[in-house]
Amino acid sequence: MRFWARWERKKNDLRAELEAHLRIATEERIARGESPEEARTAAVREMGNSALVADVTRSTWGWQWLEHALQDIRYAVRGFGRNPTFSFTVVLTLMLGIGATTAVFSVVDRILFRNLPYSDSGRLVSVGLTAPIETQEFALGGFYYEWQDNQKPFVSLTSEIATEPCDLTEVNPVRLDCAHVEANFLPTLGVAPIAGRNFLPDEDRPNGPKAALISYALWEKRFQLDRSAVGRVIRIDGHPIQIVGVLPKDFEMPRLQAADILLPQALDVAAERRQSPEHVMWAFARLKPGVSIEQATAELQPLFEYSLRLAPAPFRKEVHLRVRSLRDRQFHDVHRAAWMLLGLVAAVLLIACANVASLLMARGASREKEQAVRAALGASRLRLTRQALTESFILSLAGGIAGCLFAAVLMRLFVSLAPEGLPSLSEARIDLRIFGFTLAVSLACAVFFGLISATRRTGLESLTQRTRLSSSRALLRQCLVTAQIAMSLVLLAGGALLVRSFWNLQTQNLGMNAENIVTAAISLGQTSYPTAESQMAFFQQLQHNLRYGPGIAMLAMSDSLPPGGDHRDQIFAPIHVEGKPQITSGTGGTVAWRWVTSDYFSALQIPIVQGSGFAEEELSSSGNFVVLSKSLANRIFPGQDPVGQQLHLHSGAPDSENPLCTVVGVAADVKNGGLAGGEEPEYYRLRRNHPEDWDHSAVVILKTNLPASVSEQWIRSQVASLDPTLPVDVNTLHEEVGKMADQPRFEMMLVGFFACTGIVLAMVGLYGVVSYLVVQRTAEIGLRMAVGASRADILRLVLRGALSMIVPGILAGIAFAFVMTRMLSSLLFNTGTHDPAVFCGVTVLLALVTLLATFIPARSAMYVNPTVALRSE
Amino acid sequence: MVKTEKYQNRIELLQGTLDMLILEALRWGSMHGYGIAQGIRFKSDEVLQVETGSLYPALHRLERQGWVKSKWGVTESNQRAKFYEITKKGKEQLVAEQERWQRMVQAIGAVMGAARTAE
Repeated sequence: MRFWARWERKKNDLRAELEAHLRIATEERIARGESPEEARTAAVREMGNSALVADVTRSTWGWQWLEHALQDIRYAVRGFGRNPTFSFTVVLTLMLGIGATTAVFSVVDRILFRNLPYSDSGRLVSVGLTAPIETQEFALGGFYYEWQDNQKPFVSLTSEIATEPCDLTEVNPVRLDCAHVEANFLPTLGVAPIAGRNFLPDEDRPNGPKAALISYALWEKRFQLDRSAVGRVIRIDGHPIQIVGVLPKDFEMPRLQAADILLPQALDVAAERRQSPEHVMWAFARLKPGVSIEQATAELQPLFEYSLRLAPAPFRKEVHLRVRSLRDRQFHDVHRAAWMLLGLVAAVLLIACANVASLLMARGASREKEQAVRAALGASRLRLTRQALTESFILSLAGGIAGCLFAAVLMRLFVSLAPEGLPSLSEARIDLRIFGFTLAVSLACAVFFGLISATRRTGLESLTQRTRLSSSRALLRQCLVTAQIAMSLVLLAGGALLVRSFWNLQTQNLGMNAENIVTAAISLGQTSYPTAESQMAFFQQLQHNLRYGPGIAMLAMSDSLPPGGDHRDQIFAPIHVEGKPQITSGTGGTVAWRWVTSDYFSALQIPIVQGSGFAEEELSSSGNFVVLSKSLANRIFPGQDPVGQQLHLHSGAPDSENPLCTVVGVAADVKNGGLAGGEEPEYYRLRRNHPEDWDHSAVVILKTNLPASVSEQWIRSQVASLDPTLPVDVNTLHEEVGKMADQPRFEMMLVGFFACTGIVLAMVGLYGVVSYLVVQRTAEIGLRMAVGASRADILRLVLRGALSMIVPGILAGIAFAFVMTRMLSSLLFNTGTHDPAVFCGVTVLLALVTLLATFIPARSAMYVNPTVALRSE
Repeated sequence: MVKTEKYQNRIELLQGTLDMLILEALRWGSMHGYGIAQGIRFKSDEVLQVETGSLYPALHRLERQGWVKSKWGVTESNQRAKFYEITKKGKEQLVAEQERWQRMVQAIGAVMGAARTAE
């Protein structure tokens, strides 16, 4: 502040000095005999432009740039205040553009570009076979160790086997997720425990010392980050196990599944090699330096040939070797969505930029006179350019800040809407890099638009000539608007296609009735229920207790529920009908199946189209019974009556696992591969009163006429009365189906959001340009009216101008959309990428909206007062 | 229309020389800006016209260098004006400038003289 006061004093001092100069000069001339007026005029002429003299003098003081900057800022802010609609529109446009960019960049950054929490993660790969039954690469114990011994391209190869629920059986028991990994798992990933140590080779042998590594979250929650937790003995599923280390805070399993505890898999390697019993594994490896994924794949070929020999002949053609980067493994199907998002954002950002450019150019053109006056008063070209840059800099900065706030809101929205399938989205934050990115975008905007509006002519001719359209600029601006309209049509078409596809998805026939169904998923712990007998006893008791509860119309049990894809699978080939030849080539694709109780079909209202379905007396029968889905029945028994036929489901397996089953009915097809997935052929086996039909998990299906919350409480109380420590997952089937639509709903809303943003921006742009044209042509319109043009003529004149942008824009948009929507094909359900209804609707909508944006300025043109318009020139 | 660049070009051309002239004008006592310009004009027989747009930036520059100092005073005709006065440092600078100027004049003279005899 002191500095400021001194600066002001110095400025006043200079002004007084120059005034004194003028006074003394005048006085001397008077003394020489000139008249006072003459003397003064001559002195002023001699002195020249005193403001400029002061300006140049001040520049020797060294602080002038600051003064100029402040002056420019003051001037710019005053200008914005005079024209609030303009400033508001620019800031709003930038806010939408920059905000959307930042938010989406933050999300996509997490998905596409984030660093995996492993050292030198670019060299980590996922290795294995793919087969029709498991399309994500996996390994089997039978060949995995052979690979480990003989592989060449990797520094090391490691594996994990299933992650399972386990119980921490101490005071306050909790259900946790236990992952089973090889001893070299962490070293291969390049992860070091933050406390304690990794597993020793001894601990990874059958009957070796029991050791566990715990997650940071568990360490914090259970042990309050106490270092003495390392070395403590905890009980997992009743077994004492020593904690040997703590995982880093950002540790995650390579397949991203939740894991609270890491245990050594302790497999019997010799038995695995003999394939008895063989484990499914997931293998990960670290490439040797300089070895590419292609090289690694080629080098693994002999080992792959070896493992193929282990597979049954029909499989071999359908089994493939796959080596891919860990990043690709993690994000195999979100890549597409992420790139789509980036494309959308680029489109919106382009529209926003075009908008701001055309707004600033229109404003610049309307200020040509003002600029010319300033130039005539001695403002240098540099100074005028700097002024224009300052203006757009302030606008962009305001837009950038507003955009950042908007991005924060959007992020929160994205995270709350995002389905669980998008990995690690909830951890996405607007971080500093992304803030820098936004700032760079807004600064680029500033320089770009500032230069555009500064390079207009600032000559004397602007003063003397009537302000008129400089035609090249006008053409550029019209092209920008045309491009905007085209781009919004593409966005709108994409959005509309997804809406239509979502509608199809929601209204499709699932093949069952989800109304009034409450489900309760229960998974029994290994400690409390170690045998199939105890598991069956629990579930049957629960079934008995629940059956006669209030409002229960129907009760069934199953091990999984449609329409999700989470069910048992097998391949078609081993299904063998008594007395018929078995298929020998290929696997025949996959077949879904479930264990159900007899009321399953009536509870879900799945029609039995042939036969009678399961009967009560079959529950205690020693025979095995099966109900086929219509498509499976048609495939196995084409043109025959399947009811009463007998078949083996697992030919080739030991007899105990491959009983002879009697077909007792055919059920209508039910959606069973997710909402958008196909319908796999399916069969149902009856869970009889025999322990071999039961395992540790089941879903209770209740049809009830009471509100879901009442049923839920009652189910919980009944389960608690049997086992108070058992967790239950209660839902309505409606909610579960709804959850499956989360991903398409998210995609639809995102594209819809961008389409709306795009169309709003395009409207603003069109409105701005048309109203600018009207203002520019006010005099012409006045003249036309004065010589007899009617209002309809004027409307036609303005419309013709607007249509010359709208029509090419829409045509180009349709052509562009035809190409671009093909990228959406994999996201669409029962909807063609060139759906005529969608394209027509979108075209009509955009035409209406753009005409609306034209109408307001056209109206003001129609009511131009000829006398006023002509006089103003 | 007056362009800023014109002033700045002339300042560039006269730089050093103008400073020297001003310091010389102040050697005989303190003087205000108008007086300095008039003094130079008078002594050069109206050949050197110092424009205000060059004079004041030069004065302020000299003041920043510490070669002159200024204070407000009253003229003979009782007008308030800012008077500039040469400092000790300014006098040393003037001597240095003068020597440089003499050498320059001699050098240019020698070149031009040689040129004339060759004709």
